[in-house]
Amino acid sequence: MSSNDKPALVGEELEKRIAVLERKVSREKKARNIAENKLEQYSLEIYKTNESLKEALASSTKKQKELEYLGCASSNVASELKLNEMISNVIDLTGRFCMADFGFYLVVKKGSIIQGDLNTSWCPSGGEQNNDTLMEFIRGLLPLDNVDLLNSWVALDIDPNICKPEHTFEQVCFTNFSLAADKVGWLVLLNNHNVVDFDILSVLNTARGHLLSGVRRRLTDVRILKRNVQLQESLEKLEKTRRQLIQSEKMASLGQLAAGVAHEINNPIAFIRSNMEVLQEYLGDYKQLHEDLKKITYGNKAVSSNEYQVIFDKVDLDYIEEDSVDLLQSNIEGLIRVRDIVDNLKSFSHSGNEELVPVSINACVEASLKVTGNVFKYEHQIDNQIGELSLTILGNLGQLQQVFVNLFVNAAYAMEGGGKLTISHSSVDERIVIHVSDTGQGMDKETINKLFTPFFTTKPVGVGTGLGLSVSYAILEAHDAQVTVDSDVGVGTTFNLSFPALTQQ
Amino acid sequence: MKGIVFVKFNEFIEELWGEDFWDELLSDADLPSEGVYTTVATYDDEELFTLVGLIVDKKSISAKDAQYAFGKWVFKELYNLAPPGAHDFKDVFEFLHAVQDFIHVEVKKLNPDALLPEFEFLTETPNVLTFKYISPRKLCYFCEGIIHGLAEHTGQSIKVSQPECEHEAGKRCVIKVEKV
Repeated sequence: MSSNDKPALVGEELEKRIAVLERKVSREKKARNIAENKLEQYSLEIYKTNESLKEALASSTKKQKELEYLGCASSNVASELKLNEMISNVIDLTGRFCMADFGFYLVVKKGSIIQGDLNTSWCPSGGEQNNDTLMEFIRGLLPLDNVDLLNSWVALDIDPNICKPEHTFEQVCFTNFSLAADKVGWLVLLNNHNVVDFDILSVLNTARGHLLSGVRRRLTDVRILKRNVQLQESLEKLEKTRRQLIQSEKMASLGQLAAGVAHEINNPIAFIRSNMEVLQEYLGDYKQLHEDLKKITYGNKAVSSNEYQVIFDKVDLDYIEEDSVDLLQSNIEGLIRVRDIVDNLKSFSHSGNEELVPVSINACVEASLKVTGNVFKYEHQIDNQIGELSLTILGNLGQLQQVFVNLFVNAAYAMEGGGKLTISHSSVDERIVIHVSDTGQGMDKETINKLFTPFFTTKPVGVGTGLGLSVSYAILEAHDAQVTVDSDVGVGTTFNLSFPALTQQ
Repeated sequence: MKGIVFVKFNEFIEELWGEDFWDELLSDADLPSEGVYTTVATYDDEELFTLVGLIVDKKSISAKDAQYAFGKWVFKELYNLAPPGAHDFKDVFEFLHAVQDFIHVEVKKLNPDALLPEFEFLTETPNVLTFKYISPRKLCYFCEGIIHGLAEHTGQSIKVSQPECEHEAGKRCVIKVEKV
């Protein structure tokens, strides 16, 4: 049944129906009002939310820029860039961050700007450029004479009256920091369009802290570099001195040996000279014989056997011939002895280089014994047990000889009244140990402890330098050799020198 | 409770028993809102329960039937208002899962303070689904009605029962949906 077919309402029913509908309409109106109010409320909320979102976005964009600036400035400061490059980058970054019109880095000493490449100005469009007029302008603005350093960035408004027509600036921002040699670095920003506010200043001050530590680090680096060069030079000097010391000590021991060596050389020279005198006499005899024979033969006479016998008997030619051979042989041997002594001295005194090459240690001991031969007297016995062996190590012959000469001289000194020097060897863990033992007076613990101390000596003044063993110790260290000393007072001393073995046959 | 429920309840009652009956209900109920319902506002749950109580008395039907009937009717109304994407489901079980995982999520976006029931799925076979109905409002019969409305929409034939119900001295409400 459609609504049109409904029976028409009348009377009370109609009134009731109207009342129901009126109440319904009233409820609908109220509901609509509530809904509209709600809508308005929602709109307001949305608007407020939108506004706060915009603010949040602006604030986070600002924060992001600040963080970007701080990040870039920090990584620039932390980089390995040189001081001026680093500061130049900081000026660029800071100028862009503050949207400044110009930026400067000035180096000032005693109130005056030090002219040079350092004083360049920055502007956003053209990077860095020289600008003398601007420089003059900011010279008037900044308290460059002020010796006190600032502890933050400072922002000052510029009096429009002092600006030239071509430059109208509203604000100058600056800070300074100390550089080496009483110099002060100034960072300056000139602002025309954008003025730096408190928030930006606080960001600049954070970056300033980083910058200062970067500047300090670079200045320290330079100082360390200088100090390093000085140290290197000192080290070279020390090394040179060490070499000189070793050589001097060698020459000193040579001096100690000189008297004995002279004796060693004098002996053969004495007998060579005496032999030569005898040979000279023999030559006189031969001359006499020659004269006699000439006298006879010039008269075209043949020499009779009787005449020959008389002449021969006069000079005893048989003996002369026999003795001459002996004398000449003795002279040759004597000269060989002298040559050997001189050769050994030469090789000993030769400073040479410090290169380590394969060295026969027994040959080295042999040569050292020859050089020191005469410090040992008749009451000394020498037992060289390694003479026949072939012990090779990596070493420097001259230096090792110096060590052994030193030990042998000391041994002889310790065995003043006679004794026995024994040179033997053993092998321990791929090392060759040479034992140099004497039966001398021995040493107490105190002496052993000071044994390798420079200038320590038990010899009388003028006899020892006190450097022999300390220099020997340094030489042995360079050979990667270890030294131990066994000594008993009144029994004797053994030096054990342990070398890394190269080959042992 | 969101105003949409009251607005739809109003429409349902008027459709079923006419404007006069709704007017009579409001006069008898004497509600704080005076029956001025709009979808953008929120009303006290008690108002709905009062109205349902009056209908139960006046029409001599059970509260269960009243809730069930309203649930079944209101489904298509709510379905039309549902967010885009809620209309792609062709199966009752699928839709029930989506209520929890999708529809309620979307409702929360628009109405963060909305108090929505939770479904905790217990068992599921191709033809039988049981889930726990959790809501302080305890409108499990209303929920049953909605599921029937849903089945009507998908064209599926189903049977809904409650093996456990808080209104029947149970400790929880478990709804069982069987495809028949």
